[in-house]
Amino acid sequence: MGSVTNKFLTLDKAVSLIKSNSSITFSGFAHSVTPLAFIREMIRQKIKNLHLIGIGEAWAVDMLAGANMLSKVSLSNFMFEGYGRCKNFSRRVENGSIEIEDFSHFAQISRFAASAIGVPFLPIRSLLGTDVESSNHGKTSKIECPFTNETLLAVAAVKPDYAVIHAHRADRNGNVQLFGNSTSIDEQIRGSKTVFVTVEEIVAEEEISKYSEVNTLPAFLVDYVVEVPYGAHPTGMYRYYSEDFDHIDYYMDACKTEEGFNHYLKEFIFDLNNQWDYLQKVGIKKLHQLKADPYLGYQLGNKLVEED
Amino acid sequence: MQYSTEELMIVAASKQLKNEEVVFVGTGLPMLACLVAKATHAPNLYMLFESGIIDPKPVHLPKGVGDFKLLKGATKSTSLNYVLSLLQGGFIDVGFLGAAEVDQYGNINTTFIGGTYENPKLRLPGSGGANDIASNAKRTLVIMPHQKRKFKKNLSYLTTPGHLQGGESRYEAGLKGGGPSRIITDKAILDFEPTSKKMRVNALHPGVTIEEVQELTEFELVIPADIPTTLTPTDTELTLIRNIDKEGVYINKK
Repeated sequence: MGSVTNKFLTLDKAVSLIKSNSSITFSGFAHSVTPLAFIREMIRQKIKNLHLIGIGEAWAVDMLAGANMLSKVSLSNFMFEGYGRCKNFSRRVENGSIEIEDFSHFAQISRFAASAIGVPFLPIRSLLGTDVESSNHGKTSKIECPFTNETLLAVAAVKPDYAVIHAHRADRNGNVQLFGNSTSIDEQIRGSKTVFVTVEEIVAEEEISKYSEVNTLPAFLVDYVVEVPYGAHPTGMYRYYSEDFDHIDYYMDACKTEEGFNHYLKEFIFDLNNQWDYLQKVGIKKLHQLKADPYLGYQLGNKLVEED
Repeated sequence: MQYSTEELMIVAASKQLKNEEVVFVGTGLPMLACLVAKATHAPNLYMLFESGIIDPKPVHLPKGVGDFKLLKGATKSTSLNYVLSLLQGGFIDVGFLGAAEVDQYGNINTTFIGGTYENPKLRLPGSGGANDIASNAKRTLVIMPHQKRKFKKNLSYLTTPGHLQGGESRYEAGLKGGGPSRIITDKAILDFEPTSKKMRVNALHPGVTIEEVQELTEFELVIPADIPTTLTPTDTELTLIRNIDKEGVYINKK
């Protein structure tokens, strides 16, 4: 674990610590809280042969699958809310280049939760009687309860090499705060070996404790922190900025074909040096338009600044 | 007032929900069905979302279960693990499901179509919370289009349990929840014959014949002697739906 003095890294340095042939999980639910600046840098650094262990991070899996960086994916569900199937991911599964293991959301989160509390499995009541019970290379097993003789399903703990989370803010010790619903983050960070958190901003320690009722990841669970404003773009961050649906539409159109997505990669990753170049390309006007209304926590798209 | 088939389906689904029930909701028509129920006969309906949001009162219609608009007025914003644990704890009365394929016992496939699991012809999104909802909710409601390629004799893959092989098989597999109670399509409402657990026609939408519904179904449906016609939406219900989705997010898309 990184000590406080070396906990804070630049984005390219943090990403360089991710090794090829390792396992990884990402925050992200629908079009929100996905560490996409980190993922863009991973693609730039051409990290290969990853095993993604996911719950709902559709953006992470689709970008990495499209960039040919995944060899195996354990999943419960990947779809782009409002748009449908993840085209890059589906293409790679259909041509056999990604090996898959299916679970349900509760089975997969229970595997992280088992790891988080230091037990080799947890018993659940899902998957029984279905094909999902046997689509996961032996990571589930029917058991009889030693106390009641009921049939339950044991799901094996999972411990990815890395968890990469995007959150709202952190202090100088690495305490991290996340506003809104926490989706799967609490289990992902406690269930992974090394935890990277990218944050929108670094704030004073007193600011974190002032809002201790907000969902907080204590510093001792966090190995590395990187400050990356708009690090989730084009996905959104509750109370900071909304999803960029213009960009999302552009992406969905691009990933319909392999060629289209390669062009997207060139345009938004390979032709740019870093996140600052990326934000320049997105443009300050667009970023201002996405800024959340402080009362609502999101943007209705009624800012006075006109679209170009 | 004239109504669309989607509006008929939303109202039909909303009538399946009772006041003070706890409902696990998905994106699209289920969300509208719940909002209609809350605005009419079930004001104290509790809505839960797998993103970790409980009992919201959104002031703008959310585009999905991950939309921040759902956080407005929520009584609890928590985690995926917490809300799915509520399912397994037996706290959820009703869960909504969609389906790419369904069989005569209400089992659902949302994993792949054609080819093999390792090399599918068409890879679909996977279970998500659906298997957990179907395993543990007291009952489930399925909303899907009525097409022959979707109402299948044999599924490519059984993602989400319905009544499994019928009869007592669901109970014998160790599942605690009650399984599917209704399937609402663009042609009919279906339920399940209580003993065999085979899919049965419950109501036909106005203008739809039983022959048409059977023709769009690969397996043989149980057809009772008297089949009522689905209630048509009232003007009040239609005005309500169009007001909730005034921007055309889910229905009457612009």
